[in-house]
Amino acid sequence: MIVIEHVSLWYGKDFKALDDVSETISAGQTVIICGASGSGKSSLLRCINGLERFQEGKVMVDGLSVQHPRTNIQKLRSRIGMVFQHFELYPHMTALENITLAPIRVARKTKADAGRQAEALLDRVGILDQAHKYPGELSGGQQQRVAIARALAMEPKIMLFDEPTSALDPEMIKEVLDVMVDLAEAGMTMIVVTHEMGFAKKVADEIIFMDNGTIVEKGAVHAFFKNPQTERAQQFLGRILI
Amino acid sequence: MDLSVIFKNAPFMLGGLILSFQLAAITIIAGLILGIVLASARLSSKSVFYYPATIYIHFFRGLPLILVIFWLYFLAPVILGTSVNEFTAAALAFVVFEAAYFAEIVRSGIQAVPFGQVMAAHSTGLSPLQTARFVVIPQALRNMVPALVTQSVVVFQDTSLGYVIGLREFLRRVNLTDAREARSVELYLFAGLVYFSICSLGSRASRRLEKRRFEAD
Repeated sequence: MIVIEHVSLWYGKDFKALDDVSETISAGQTVIICGASGSGKSSLLRCINGLERFQEGKVMVDGLSVQHPRTNIQKLRSRIGMVFQHFELYPHMTALENITLAPIRVARKTKADAGRQAEALLDRVGILDQAHKYPGELSGGQQQRVAIARALAMEPKIMLFDEPTSALDPEMIKEVLDVMVDLAEAGMTMIVVTHEMGFAKKVADEIIFMDNGTIVEKGAVHAFFKNPQTERAQQFLGRILI
Repeated sequence: MDLSVIFKNAPFMLGGLILSFQLAAITIIAGLILGIVLASARLSSKSVFYYPATIYIHFFRGLPLILVIFWLYFLAPVILGTSVNEFTAAALAFVVFEAAYFAEIVRSGIQAVPFGQVMAAHSTGLSPLQTARFVVIPQALRNMVPALVTQSVVVFQDTSLGYVIGLREFLRRVNLTDAREARSVELYLFAGLVYFSICSLGSRASRRLEKRRFEAD
């Protein structure tokens, strides 16, 4: 479903953010990407939906090459939902309007249809009662759940999560992770950049550990936690699993 | 104090006020349009757009308005090949000068919209144009409206500088009235009152917009 082949990405001339990364993710899998900050996790995620333009290599999603000039990138993106660390809800729109914008403008749904679908999604993430509030009136956890609903509104086949709980207060992390666990169990293909190792153990089919723009180690979650092969992974786990 | 001098000359002076309003309106509309073009160029990653716009903005922000008015008054006939009247020269000078200030307001309003908003919009499949229309511009406008209103007030005050090339705007007509009537105290107090009332209305509008923006956040 997602094939990443020898992708390299430079920021400017000197900084190589991704260095010959290859990976294959099949439909229905949940893959966790972890690693220290600056290791290239988020950059890799953004290469998958074309938010980042890499200079070398190829990313194929559902048989379509992300950077091919003839690929309709907007259409492709609407099949890939993305959730950001800082939610990125549109502050001038209510929760409901945040969710219905793309279905109305991109998928050409009627306002009524999009509204009904948005309500169903808000119900699914447990905050239907907040539909008409603005992002500024919601807690961080609620905002992130709206953001997940917004990403789901285009009925994506793949969901990308870029540190979805890193900006949340501890007591709000669970409500967001619960929604994500439900999604994974419902068979959604998910790529999640996170340091929530409990979540990883629960749902991940595979874990990828990145360092300096390369995939240093990958494999089953339990094996990775119990017996990391590389020194960098050992150091990293030593720091985050206290 | 003899206030009758004001009433007697009111039609003459109000004619100047209308001229001041016209000059301000032309400056605000055309200056804002040119400002939006300059701001877009300055936000462009292409250097053919970025550098000329940046140089333009820095250049005019580094000059006193009165100098630009003189320039345009004496240069416009040379460039255009025909003589221009005071109003056209003043309007040209105001537009090219104020556009530099409007451009910076527009630019900072757009730049204040976090890039994450653009990424989020793109990730749902919105095109760059849709992203601008539904996500970036509404937020940018909300950011820049108070500053635009303040700048418009400044433009109105600045129209009084038109007198240096003999433009018979409001202050110039007050000045002419005084030359005829020799009632400086009454006339200049009146002029002050008129400018003050109009500008404080503008400032109040700007404050209210600012407050509304704050509450919406």
